[in-house]
Amino acid sequence: MSEHIAVTLDPDVATGVAEEIYGRGWTDGLPALPATEESVQRFLATTQRAEDEVAAHHPQLERHVTVRDVAVSAVMAGCLPEYFPVVLAAWDALSAERAALGGGWQSTSGPGPLIIVNGPIRHQLGINSEGGVLGPGFRANATIPRAIGLTVRNGFGIRPRELEQATVGTVGRWQLCIGENEEASPWEPLSEEAGVEPGVSAVAATLVRTFEVVDNRSFTSAEEVLADFVDTIQRSGALIGRHSPTGILLNPAHAQLFAGAGMSKQDVREWIVARAGRTEAELQAVGKGLSHLPGGPFAADHRHPTLADAKPATLPIIVAGTSNAAMSMVFRVLGLWSGRSFPVR
Amino acid sequence: MTAEIIDPTQHFHASSAVTPTDAARPETLAGLRIGLLGNTKRNADSILDAIGSRLADRHTEVALIPRTKTQFAMPLPVELVEELIRDCDVVVIGVGDCGSCSASAVADAITLENVGLPTAVICTDAFVQPSSAMAGLKGAPDFPYLLTAHPIANLTAEGIEERGEQLATQVEARLVGSARAVAAA
Repeated sequence: MSEHIAVTLDPDVATGVAEEIYGRGWTDGLPALPATEESVQRFLATTQRAEDEVAAHHPQLERHVTVRDVAVSAVMAGCLPEYFPVVLAAWDALSAERAALGGGWQSTSGPGPLIIVNGPIRHQLGINSEGGVLGPGFRANATIPRAIGLTVRNGFGIRPRELEQATVGTVGRWQLCIGENEEASPWEPLSEEAGVEPGVSAVAATLVRTFEVVDNRSFTSAEEVLADFVDTIQRSGALIGRHSPTGILLNPAHAQLFAGAGMSKQDVREWIVARAGRTEAELQAVGKGLSHLPGGPFAADHRHPTLADAKPATLPIIVAGTSNAAMSMVFRVLGLWSGRSFPVR
Repeated sequence: MTAEIIDPTQHFHASSAVTPTDAARPETLAGLRIGLLGNTKRNADSILDAIGSRLADRHTEVALIPRTKTQFAMPLPVELVEELIRDCDVVVIGVGDCGSCSASAVADAITLENVGLPTAVICTDAFVQPSSAMAGLKGAPDFPYLLTAHPIANLTAEGIEERGEQLATQVEARLVGSARAVAAA
């Protein structure tokens, strides 16, 4: 039996507050909580950072947001106070993304920031890294990226159909926060690849244009699955320049298959990068020939690799989800991931 | 219990910019150095070149000064602003044909007007919203920018010449100040 709630809530007041926030244009389309001095102070108490420290800046608009501004967004997004250091670390990570600094929030691609959390803080905050990792259903995963979105909207003043020009936008924009499933991964976590000490909680982030599933659950060899990744990654749809920066949310079953075949994460990366590509003729057939670029014109059989190189920043691989069916996700990056992961402090 | 709800937009409302003013206009383009500031977007340089050659045909002793802003969404680097001040009398800017670069092109024009360089900035008509939003954000909501039909990335050489012809007259009108707001056309 549930415990009796001893406070009386006036539903008219609650609705009135929600409508006031809608009416001011402060929310993203879902109800948002009111930020008050008291609630903001509870968030600020979770970090050593000064409230007037700059948390993020936007060069084009010549605007910046402070730690306090981000706290206001985190309250409104529905975060718990203890999530706040992760929100700030996510801004650290996004501030290293050239695409975010260079107009990504206004882009016609309408990208969503993908926030990847490593380390023990995943368990402390209940950040999902397993089944249904892309959500919904988990408060930390849902509200941390929403706090980023509300900061872009209210702190930078970038709103849809004004400074923001998403053509259709990205499914899951402001909803993409995952833990890496380190427990089910045979390899070092993303944060360690990026140079963060083992056991330190850290956040990486990049701007994502789209996700595409690689459903390969009846495999009999690592090569089959790797070839399935290559086939998806070399698709021309997302290509807008010479390369199509990409990442993989790798199902634990696929990761264990590759590791069982003796492959490191870097081996997997190199296998894929060496094979994913299209010829000039294939790209021309879809109106995306690259002959106008430096080095061109290219012969019909000239092969253009989909990815520029096999560095972790060029093809980040994150083990996530559960292995009840071996489905992974290929995602497209706007710009290029910085390759960095930022400790939660 | 009552508590005040914090306005999450209060900071950028408070930081109002100085209202920009247009640079003084020359009476004619004859004898002037015309900067052509491309933003690396596909066909932007070609359209600017086509405009420049029309203007050079129409006026004596015009010098065309092509320059490039390599990061189309970012503000003009200080060094490039200084170079434009030093090397140009007027500047044609373009082409804003995306969500971020259209707003950025308008911001660049306002920056250059503020330091005394007359500009004509061109955006495509799919990006009126961010262009106007940026003008408003810079304190000049009626700042005139020129519009050309979207898209430009797929124009043929012939199409580029046509655009150059169409835009040259508007660019000239804006640069010499005989037309205040061609954008509404």
